[in-house]
Amino acid sequence: MNRLEATRVVVAAAGDAPIVASLGHPAYDLFAAGDRPQNFYTWGSMGMASSIGLGLALAKPEARIFVVDGDGALLMNLGSLATIGLLGPPNLVVVVMDNGAFATTGGQSSPTAHGADLEAAARAMGVDAATARTEDDLRALVSGARRAPLVAVAKVSESAPTVRPPLDCVFIKQRFMAAIGNPESAAHPAGRA
Amino acid sequence: MPERPAWAAGVAAGLHAAGCRDVVYVPDNPLSHVLAEIGDRYRDVRLALATREEEAVGIAAGLYLGGRRPAVLLQSSGLGNSLNAVTSLVVPYQIPMVIVVSMRGDAGEWNAAQVPMGRAVRPILDAIGITHATIESPADAERLVALTAATAFGRRTMAACLVPRRITSAPAP
Repeated sequence: MNRLEATRVVVAAAGDAPIVASLGHPAYDLFAAGDRPQNFYTWGSMGMASSIGLGLALAKPEARIFVVDGDGALLMNLGSLATIGLLGPPNLVVVVMDNGAFATTGGQSSPTAHGADLEAAARAMGVDAATARTEDDLRALVSGARRAPLVAVAKVSESAPTVRPPLDCVFIKQRFMAAIGNPESAAHPAGRA
Repeated sequence: MPERPAWAAGVAAGLHAAGCRDVVYVPDNPLSHVLAEIGDRYRDVRLALATREEEAVGIAAGLYLGGRRPAVLLQSSGLGNSLNAVTSLVVPYQIPMVIVVSMRGDAGEWNAAQVPMGRAVRPILDAIGITHATIESPADAERLVALTAATAFGRRTMAACLVPRRITSAPAP
């Protein structure tokens, strides 16, 4: 399974649910798999996708929140697993697209190509986790039957994305917030001159 | 209910009055008074511990996207830890949040390791365009935090309220 195929599985499982994507190739593949207003594409803040997803999960307990992360990105914010384990949001599914490489920056090998085990790391922090090597395995993991919070490590090959999401960060945010029921215009307090 | 330093009670009251019901924090000693005050007096506020300040900013960003009005409590030393999320998520996406910064490295500092970042807090915030204000007296705390929140959620920006050591090191009443 390559990352685009795995991302399509996540999009299909999400339905109308929010998906937060880590910067670079995971975000590009999310756009390629199906652009939708409920996609929050990050253009920076490497490592923050799982934290953004955690905040969303706390804010919207009625929604299932999906995160499309990368192995290098999660390694940059490994403490996030401890916080997810601590707070235990029952509606957060973090899918780690683990290609064993920093693909966006040229394919440098990552620690997961040399034995670093993100499934084991998640379990060690008290978060249920599993590894999927096929689309069917991944589909079964993220379909909703399994209790969350959940870290699903998808072992993927590189998919060399050729398209990119919108560059306008404020557009991404406002479209996303409106689609998940928090239109930003409604939140803006009336000021006094 | 134990009496807490007036500045800490003011910070907690200001956050609550501004509608902040989610506080994400990396603790330090002075902030422990604010956290205890929130825990005792404002039971409708959710406190969330983060392992690192950048993570706290990421969680707060998600909370805002989900319709909340988040605040982040951190020590000045941790501002450096948070900067990538601030500059490449919070600023370009215009995600509002209040940050309350417990200052180190200013008057009364005994630990040399705290001084360089403490001195750099204001120049860094200025350089990346984050509005900041400093609590000048304990009685000022509630109003300044509320004003900081008005700046943040009105203008959709991060806004910082700095609490200097000359405030936090005063003996409790």
